[in-house]
Formats: sequence, structure tokens, C-alpha cells
Amino acid sequence: MDDLRRLIKENRIPLYRKMDQYRHYIIAGLLLLLLALPYLLNSQYIMRIIIMICVYSILGMSLGLITGYTGQTSLGHAAFYAIGAYTSAIISVTYGVSFFITAPIAACVAALMGLLLGLPTLRLSGTYLAITTLGFAEVVRMIFLNWERVTNGPLGISRIPRPVFFGIELTIANNGMYYLVLAFLLLTTLVMHFIVRSKFGRALTAIRDDEVAAVMMGVRTTYYKIIAFVVGAFFAGLAGAFYAHMIRFIDPNTFTFDTSILILSIVILGGMGTIKGMFLGAILLISFPELLRFVQEYRFVLYGLILVLMMRFRPQGLLGGQQKTDYAFPKGMKVDNQ
Amino acid sequence: MKKVISLVLILALVLVSMTGCGSSSTDAGSVKIAIAAPMTGDFAEYGTGFRNAVELMVNEWNENGGVLGQQIELVIYDDKNDGEEAATIAERIASDDNIMGVVGHFASGVCMAATPTYQETGIVNISPSASHPDFTKEGDYIFRNNTVINVEAEAAVAIATELYGKSKVGILSVRNDWGTSTAEITKELVAAAGAEVVDHQEILDGTVDFSPNISRLHNAGAEVIIVAAMYNVLGPFASQYQDVNPDIQFVGFSNAYSRQLIELAGDSAEGIHFPTQFFDGSTDQNVVAFVEAYKEAYGSTPSSLTAQAYDSAGIILTAIQNAGELDRAAIRDQVAGVEYNGVTGYTTFNESRDSVRPFTVVKIHQGEFVEAR
Amino acid sequence: MVTKKRWGERMVMEQLINGLTIGIIYALIAVGYSLVFGILRLVNFSHGSVYAFGAHMSLLFISMEFGIVPAIIASMIFTGMLGIAIDKLSLEPLRMKGSKPIAALITTIGISYIIQNMLMIVFGSETKSFPRLFNYGTVRIFGVNVGSTQIAIFFISLVLLVALTAIIHYTKVGLAMRGVEQNAKASYLMGINVNRVVTFTFFLGGVSAAIAGTLVSGYYQMVSPGMGFMPGLKAFSAAVLGGIGILYGSVIGGLVVGISETFAATYLGGSYRDAVAFIILILVLLVRPNGLFGKKGIKKV
Repeated sequence: MDDLRRLIKENRIPLYRKMDQYRHYIIAGLLLLLLALPYLLNSQYIMRIIIMICVYSILGMSLGLITGYTGQTSLGHAAFYAIGAYTSAIISVTYGVSFFITAPIAACVAALMGLLLGLPTLRLSGTYLAITTLGFAEVVRMIFLNWERVTNGPLGISRIPRPVFFGIELTIANNGMYYLVLAFLLLTTLVMHFIVRSKFGRALTAIRDDEVAAVMMGVRTTYYKIIAFVVGAFFAGLAGAFYAHMIRFIDPNTFTFDTSILILSIVILGGMGTIKGMFLGAILLISFPELLRFVQEYRFVLYGLILVLMMRFRPQGLLGGQQKTDYAFPKGMKVDNQ
Repeated sequence: MKKVISLVLILALVLVSMTGCGSSSTDAGSVKIAIAAPMTGDFAEYGTGFRNAVELMVNEWNENGGVLGQQIELVIYDDKNDGEEAATIAERIASDDNIMGVVGHFASGVCMAATPTYQETGIVNISPSASHPDFTKEGDYIFRNNTVINVEAEAAVAIATELYGKSKVGILSVRNDWGTSTAEITKELVAAAGAEVVDHQEILDGTVDFSPNISRLHNAGAEVIIVAAMYNVLGPFASQYQDVNPDIQFVGFSNAYSRQLIELAGDSAEGIHFPTQFFDGSTDQNVVAFVEAYKEAYGSTPSSLTAQAYDSAGIILTAIQNAGELDRAAIRDQVAGVEYNGVTGYTTFNESRDSVRPFTVVKIHQGEFVEAR
Repeated sequence: MVTKKRWGERMVMEQLINGLTIGIIYALIAVGYSLVFGILRLVNFSHGSVYAFGAHMSLLFISMEFGIVPAIIASMIFTGMLGIAIDKLSLEPLRMKGSKPIAALITTIGISYIIQNMLMIVFGSETKSFPRLFNYGTVRIFGVNVGSTQIAIFFISLVLLVALTAIIHYTKVGLAMRGVEQNAKASYLMGINVNRVVTFTFFLGGVSAAIAGTLVSGYYQMVSPGMGFMPGLKAFSAAVLGGIGILYGSVIGGLVVGISETFAATYLGGSYRDAVAFIILILVLLVRPNGLFGKKGIKKV
């Protein structure tokens, strides 16, 4: 017994366990902090950055399911983001439908596109899948640019209405947009949390870690991969719908390869196969360009340098490599953390 | 442990971004104007030109005692020509009560991500380059100090049909909001002038090989090409086209008015005509002084867009002077009613807040811009 | 009607020749992707900006008036060194740690940010003019005027591609490269200095990028820091189209992409140009998941 205790002490489990014991309080505290944030900060500028962090956290989680948990590299996640934004914007501008109806539609359309892309391409793997998703995103962009009758071509869609919630127009100034994105963020987090803790989530991780072994164990890999794509695309579409109604003007240049790369960087920097990591990745990569303003034209040199250094010193991502302990052990069972 | 660390890290970052970004100084006694444009990224050349021009204008005013007896402070923001960043910057500008006006944002799409914030806050925004028809519709604080598409297209068509006297017109346009709108209007105007549009070719930004477009235009029998694109299209397009048909003539737009054009196209640039509002060889005193000062400070000749940025800053400062107080609403009213004699000519704004100015026609002759006629 | 038909035929020929010229340049860039991928199973996203770097180096050395050929050779050496530096400073440490391939991918993206933005700061972001490299008028082939530049580019590229293939197949270092490509561990045990082979591969990749960058700049007579982005993506898809890691596959992929995009620009309109390469790529991959000539079993990114 003493040996075990010493072992636990050496591995610093007590603190970790304590954290685990109080995790409900910690989560509640964080939630309260998030709810109170606008009143603590009192700056629209910072609120907008935080809103963008939330949007990219959603995007990070949605790609995280595909790349982080299932191991399918996508270089074109901005396509789903764009499809969500365009669908919601087009429907609400043309038919005057409320955001709260168009947003789910937009997310479903994005999910459908995820299915369409997923069905034929998921027998590709690795580099071939990566370049196909990249190509898909470029083709989607060309469609937005050239399908003038629907997307208004290069002129984009302007004056997209703000979401109206029971007669109140949600803006950044009245914090409506913040609470809206917070709600989306919570929804996404909860769904992702339950997915990755379920049998389904374990199947995804199995595919990532060893596809052949997964097949041997009877995991229907293609089926799971496609579901991952569909769910990922759904939430990216939701984020897109929100973004369109916040920024109120979108054109084909809003969603480029750079956006896809940014989302992928969030996933990898945060830590593949984590949910918390997506928040951290989004916080870092969205606030860096703002924080780096003082270096002026060297801003993106430094940004590139940060990416390189992060990968050099923490290639598994900031929070990556710790999901090993995430299995819930039966109560009372003693384990060491190795 | 890692959880604790990550939590601490997250909180620390939030705090850093709070303190780092949120210091909106409210120290009285300084008048600020902001310039927001791409200083990094593919369009940095334009944003840098904007910044230089506005800096020059602010320095001139400060040497003459500033505005309303106060020195003017220039606040510079780089938006990388990215709508997301532009919207964030707009919020930051809006949070600073001392900023009295904003010159900026380069591409229309980027401008329009930022204008809702300027309008809501009630701060004057003049874009020297926005071309989207809906740009000024956001509200009464949004002004355009760029050429208006249909007026400029009319001047360009007049060059093609009257000055050159050609009747078979080809159009090459870059597929973005400006290029496509310009091409549509040009088509109508060409038809109205009794000439014929034999072909219209579109290209994407960043295209360097125009051979397919040239084949099409050439085979359609075009005698003159109206090119709605920047200098980095017009230059190589002209030289590639002249390999196929040495007699072809080109009409450019003022957006392509830049020394780089002559450098890129070399001999092929000879004879290209433009409608433009800024002409660096003009004998107008304002222009001579501006071009000299710009050359001395930055070692290059200002382009048309740069000159428009220079005037935009001048208009805001004049409006502040005329308003007599640091009140954003009063400044807006003064901008709307401004009569400004700048380097791009005599400027007023019409009821849709677009600048109204006459065009002159400039051509390239022996490697120099000269006034036509 | 007869004349109209003749026009049409001529246009097809013109565009075919034009497409071949562009395609062979894509092939030259694609080979850079393929070389590195073959050895490391890594998509080197910095290759597009290395290509732009090469073009700028040539511009710099030509403006110093060494004469054109020494200038280009200097540029090739410098760009090759850049390739080595990228590997030594950022990728080799990752290999030593045995980190995930995707970390290396993000690293190369970070490097491309650094290179492209440094080019902008040093050279300015405007499009600069580049001297015409060869100009001996035009030649008539099959009733079509073909610029001597086009012919020169085509043959220079072809010679280079043959030379590269020869290096890989008939030299000792080429043998080592092929060994590492098949099994890095076994090659190491056989006494091959794997790191040196990788370094050499990056050098070759840089040199080929410099040549491609210089040829393109000389052809269109302009350079800009952003010039590597789209050609980089398209060359990457050309390499995958042909089966990444296989040199002749890259060449054919490049030609397919070049020809199809010129035809798309001619007959569909210039605004479809950039999408065509990707549409073809997706279609081909649906039928042949490993590219036209690809081997099975390449998994990592």
C-alpha cells in the first residue's frame, strides 16, 4: 500500500485527482466566467476577438473530429464553413427568413456536402485525401465566384440581416452575438464530448491509430469515417452561418485556403484528439495576429516562426498526448498513471 | 497538472489580450486619424502606398500647426486585406474616442466587413479604393473617394470609340467586384456609342498567362481592348498581346495608373491611354509639390490610388478644421459638404457620398505618362 | 465559314502549345514535391515559396550584372541552400523526435509564411519586371507561330527532367535515394547516411524550384512574392495526379494540368481556370485512388 501511495505521489496524481474531483465546480466556474465576460471586459474590440475565438473553436472541434480523432487530414475545411455561410445568407436575404431557421438549414446543407464529399473520397487515404479536400474547397470557391444567379458572383452578398431573437436584434454592442455564439459553442462542445466518449468515438480513435487493426476488430471504418465527416461539416456549417450574420458581408474571398490552414493549425497546435486543445489553439492562433501588431510588417514572419517553433518543441500539440488517461476506470479501482 | 497548466495558460492569455489590446487611451489633447489598409499580404504595396500618402498629409498639417491648434496623431492598422481582421480593427478604432476619421481598407469586400462598425459608431470612413456599388449604402458616415465606375467607364469607352475611332471592342476584366461591374457597364456603354463588343474575357486575380484570352480576343477581331484590371494584369497582357497583334490598342483604368506599369510592359506600354483624375506630370502646384514630397520621402512616384488616399486624409482634416470642434457628427457633415481642391482634382461628394471629379486623359509616350491631346 | 474553321483549328494548336509550355513548368515544380515526398512521405508546402525565392534570387543576381547564366547558377545554389536550411533547421529535429507527419506538414506551412513575407519585406510586394531570357523571334510549327521562348522553356525543362531522372537512376547518391525511398531503416543499416540523402534531396528540390521560378519569370517577364502560391497548389495536385513520389508521373500530371487549364480558360472562360486542375484531380482519384501511376500503400501525410 505504501509503495502504491509513493508511486501515486511521484506521479503527481493527487493534484490531478483533486482536479478531477472538483471538475464540476471548475467547469461551472468557467461557465460563469464566460457568461460574465462581457461585463468584466467592457470592450467591443475584445469581445469581437473573443467571438472569433469561439467561432474558430467550433471550427477546430468540427475538424478535430475528422482529423484529430479519426486521423483523416482535411485541407479544405473552409469549404464547409463557406457553404454554411452562403446557404444561410442566401436564404435569409432572398426570403427574409429568420436566422434561427436558416442556421440549422445551412448546417444541414453543409453536412450533406460533407456526405457527398465523404462517400466517394473516403477510400482515399493520407495525401490523396488531403489534396482532394483541398481541391474540393477550391472548386467550391470557384462555384461561389461563378454561379452568379445564386451567389451574386464576385459582388458577394451584402447587408445580411442580423439575427433577431424575440424582437431583439442581436449585435456585438448588446452582447447578443456573444451569447449566441456561446450557445453554439456549448452545443458543439457537448455533442463532441458525448461523441468522443461513446462507442462511436472509440471506433474513430481506433481508425486513427491503426486502420487495419480496426477493420480486424470489426469496425466499419468507411461508415464511421463518413459519419465523422458529416458531423464535422455540420458544425462547420453552423459556424459559417453565424459568421455570415455577424460580419454581414461575404464574398468568395472570405473563405480561402488560408482559412482551411488556420483551422488545421488550431487542431494540431491544440492537440489532436482533444477537445480542450481546440479552445487553446483557437485562443492562440486568433489572438496572435492581434497581439503581434507591434512588429508591423514582420507580423506574419513571426506567425510562421511561431508555428515552426511550436511544432519543433511540442509536435503533439499543446494538450496532445494526454488522452491516454481519459478512460474512466471503475470506481474504487486503483491504478497508477503509467 | 497539465489541466491546471492549461487552465492557467488560457486565463493568462485572455488577460494578456485584455491588457494588450484593450488600452484605448482617452488622453485628451490629441486629434487622431486612422489608416487601415493591407501592410502585409499580397496587396501590401497598395496599403503601404496609402499609409505613406496619409503620413505625408498629416506631417504637412502638423508642420503648419496641426488642426484646431492640436497636433495630429496618425494611427496605423494593417488588415492584410482580410475582412475578418478589418472588422476587428474597425472595432478597435471605434473604441478610441479620439479618432476622428478613418482612411481606408483596400478591397471592397474588406471595406464592407468594416463599414457596419464605422456606421454604428458614427465615425467618418473614406475609402480611396472601394468600388462595390453597395459600399456607401451602409450609411451616411461611409464615403468613397474612388472614381465612380460608370463615369470612369464612360471616359474609357470614349477613348476607345472616339479618340481611337475603333468600332470592334474587346474587354478583358478581372473577376472581382470591381472588374465584373466595370465590364458590365462598359458593355452597355460601348453599345450605346454605336460600337460592338466582339468578346469579353474574364481572368482571375493572379493570372500571369493571358494567351487563351488573347487568342479569343484576337480571333474575334478586336481592334481595341478595354482592360479593367490592375497594372500587374495590364502590363503583361499588353506585352503578350503585342506579340500576336502589334497593331492592337489598349485602354486602361485609373487603377492601373502606376509607374510599375511602364516598368512591366516596357515598349508595349507605349500608347496606352487612361482616363484618370491624378496625373503625376501635371503642372498644378498641388500635384508638383505632392509628387516631389512623396519622391523625397519614399523614393517612388505615387500611383493614382495613392493620390486618392492622400486626398482622403486631406478631406478629413479639412472637415475637422471646418467643423471647428472635435465632434464626429459635425465632422461627418463637413465631409459631406466639402469642396476640396486636392491632387486628384476638385472634389465634392454627391448625395450617395461618391466623389465627383472630372477626368483627364493620360497616355504613355516614350516611357512617360503625358497628358493626351 | 472556311476561315472560321481555320481560326478554330489554329486556336486549338496555339493553346495546345501554350498548355504544353505551362504544363512542363508545372512538371518542374511538381518534381520538387515528388522528390521530397518519395523520400520523406512529406508534403512540402514550402515548395511554392521556395520557387518564388528562386525567382527573386535570379532577379537579384541578374540586376548585379554578373551575366545571366552565372546569375541563374548562383540563384540555383542559393535556393538549394535554402532547401537544405529548411530541412536542417526545422524538419530534421522533428524526424529525430519521431513526431507525427502532420507536425512536419504544419512546419512547412509555417516556413512558407516566413519565406513569402520576408520576400515581401525585402523586395516589396509589387510585381517587378524581369528581363526576357531568350528572344529569337517566333518559329512556325504546324501553321502556328510559336515563340522561341516557349520552345526554349520546353526543351530546357525536358533536359532538366531527364537529368534529374539520370541522377536518380545512374548515380550512387541516386541509388541511395531510391534505397531510402523504399526502406529508410534498412538503408541506414546498410550504411547509407540517410540524413545526407535527405539533405541532398532538399537541395535538388530547391535547385529545380529555382530553375522553374527563373524560367517562368523570364517567360512572363515578371516576379512577385505571391507568385508561388497557386502554381504551388496546382503543381502539388499535378504530382498527386501522376502518383506522388513517381517522377514521370509528375511530368505527365503537370502536362495534363497545364493543357487542361489552358483549354478551360479558352473555352469556358478565364474564371474557371484555377478550378479545372482540381476537378480533374478529383475525378482521376475517384477512379484511381493512388493517382495515374501511383503505387499502393502510401498512407501518411
